[in-house]
Amino acid sequence: MNAIEIRNLTKNFGEKQALKGLNMTVPVGSIYGFIGENGSGKSTTEKIICGLIHASGGSVKLYGKDHTDIDVRAGVGVLIENPGCFPNMTVWNNMMIQAFNLNIENPENEIRKVLTLVRMEGSAGNKYKNCSLGMKQRIGIAMALLGNPHLLVLDEPINGLDADGMRIMREVLVDLSKRGTTIVVSSHILGELEKIATHYGIVRGGKMIAEMTAEQLEKSCRTYILIGANKIEDTKALLMRKYLRVEQDEKGFLRVYDQTTPEEIVSYLYQHGVTVNQVKRDKIGLEEYYIDLMKGKGAN
Amino acid sequence: MENVKELKFESPTFKKRLKGMLGVDFYRLFHTPLFYIFLAISAIIPAMVSCLTMMPDQNGNVMEPLYSNVWQIIASTEPLYVIKSISDYANMNMVFIFGGIMVSIFIGHDYKSGYVKQLFTTHAKKEDYMISKTLSCAFAIVCMCLTYFIGGTIGGLIAGYKTNVNVGSLFVAIFGKMILSLGWSGLFTFLNVIFRRYFGISVASSFFFGTGILIIGVASIVEALSLPSSFLNVFLYGASVNACLTSGFGAFITCILVSVAWAVIYIIAGSHILNKSDVY
Repeated sequence: MNAIEIRNLTKNFGEKQALKGLNMTVPVGSIYGFIGENGSGKSTTEKIICGLIHASGGSVKLYGKDHTDIDVRAGVGVLIENPGCFPNMTVWNNMMIQAFNLNIENPENEIRKVLTLVRMEGSAGNKYKNCSLGMKQRIGIAMALLGNPHLLVLDEPINGLDADGMRIMREVLVDLSKRGTTIVVSSHILGELEKIATHYGIVRGGKMIAEMTAEQLEKSCRTYILIGANKIEDTKALLMRKYLRVEQDEKGFLRVYDQTTPEEIVSYLYQHGVTVNQVKRDKIGLEEYYIDLMKGKGAN
Repeated sequence: MENVKELKFESPTFKKRLKGMLGVDFYRLFHTPLFYIFLAISAIIPAMVSCLTMMPDQNGNVMEPLYSNVWQIIASTEPLYVIKSISDYANMNMVFIFGGIMVSIFIGHDYKSGYVKQLFTTHAKKEDYMISKTLSCAFAIVCMCLTYFIGGTIGGLIAGYKTNVNVGSLFVAIFGKMILSLGWSGLFTFLNVIFRRYFGISVASSFFFGTGILIIGVASIVEALSLPSSFLNVFLYGASVNACLTSGFGAFITCILVSVAWAVIYIIAGSHILNKSDVY
């Protein structure tokens, strides 16, 4: 069973079509990295999943049920943009309010537990408005965790977090995922997302342009052999005679995206009188892959 | 996947959902200074209105008292749908103006702070929200009626007004208006749902409706159609005015029926709007 299954989702805001038949499949227990440019439809999709806005068309199923069913809604934790807290109330009081909404029995214990999880137990008495941006994001995560949800939908949760905050967040999300919580997380900080995501969905112009597992991304899209040589243009031309995709990076090295080995390339170049001064197997990061995809280069 | 959690889906009952939401609203109400400020305003204003009219100006002249009786600050002597003087107007019906503003600020903060997105992403239904807000805000308005009663009574006694009254009618006037708080609260909640994205307009509209000024227009229509003026009692302001110092038990029953009927209408209409539109 999938935690989220979206088919042909559309959403119109007046004349503007924000989603144009988006499909999305999020397996149970996964950490789903939801990636896309600003205005690509990520937040709109997340708001529809969470029941904040209505879809114009298509279907959204959570654990096989319609996403508007209140029984599945009760198992969804959400952080969209920023936590919806009352600024003049303390962190604790804001947490209590959400605990009441979720009909949590023994809310004090539950609140202490989630605040400890996001390392915010010492700030419970602070007024929300006096918290830093990073603290507010962690409060948002803690709120989303109240009630032990099956599904967490987090929109830009690591925005404003410092390095330590990001590490804490990473640990929390990985731990939750190991315990079976499905997590959909959108972020522009792709380097961080890459460290935790098990699945990816890349959205552009209101459509899903690619969905894959981390393994698929790792295996088929991201390995290359880096070559450093003199007469780089001639070397590139030579390599392009044999290999399908050869590119020059911004540092002047050549990248060969093909099913080959460094030894084979060095041998081939040596036979043609080219001296190779650097060769190594490397991989592109998620960020680079994403930029390539956006430029229309796609995977090799 | 290790230790995959067992998926259990609970469908919270209406009672459980409402209990949680009422818990939130009352928790917020008691933890917000706004509530206490409006309670104080509701007590101070009638006391001031009673006392200030008895104070001499710089030439030593005392203006003509607004009232002759302590209880006229609570309700007018007769049901005056169209007011003739400020004294007809300055009674417990003013609480509905204060209440309107308080409810607007209270509900407006739900949207301003983003709390509604926190709420509506849980199992909360729009109907629950309307009911809970209507009930909790009605409670706040009832509390304001109480402090108004205390402030007005103390002010009237200090000013030295007479205290003779028909106790039954006074009961109808006070408790009738308190019961009407439910209907008024429904109206203010509904207005705030309509203007949820425009905080200023929602406050202004609550103030405007709270003054009951629309009754003037309705009264002229009623007169033109040769309908009895008691027809105006089907409206919230009309029923509020009808609960006066000469009212009988019938006026009390009217207050109950009108209040509940309008509260239900506004809850249904507000829920419909929320269900059909994007929340946040």
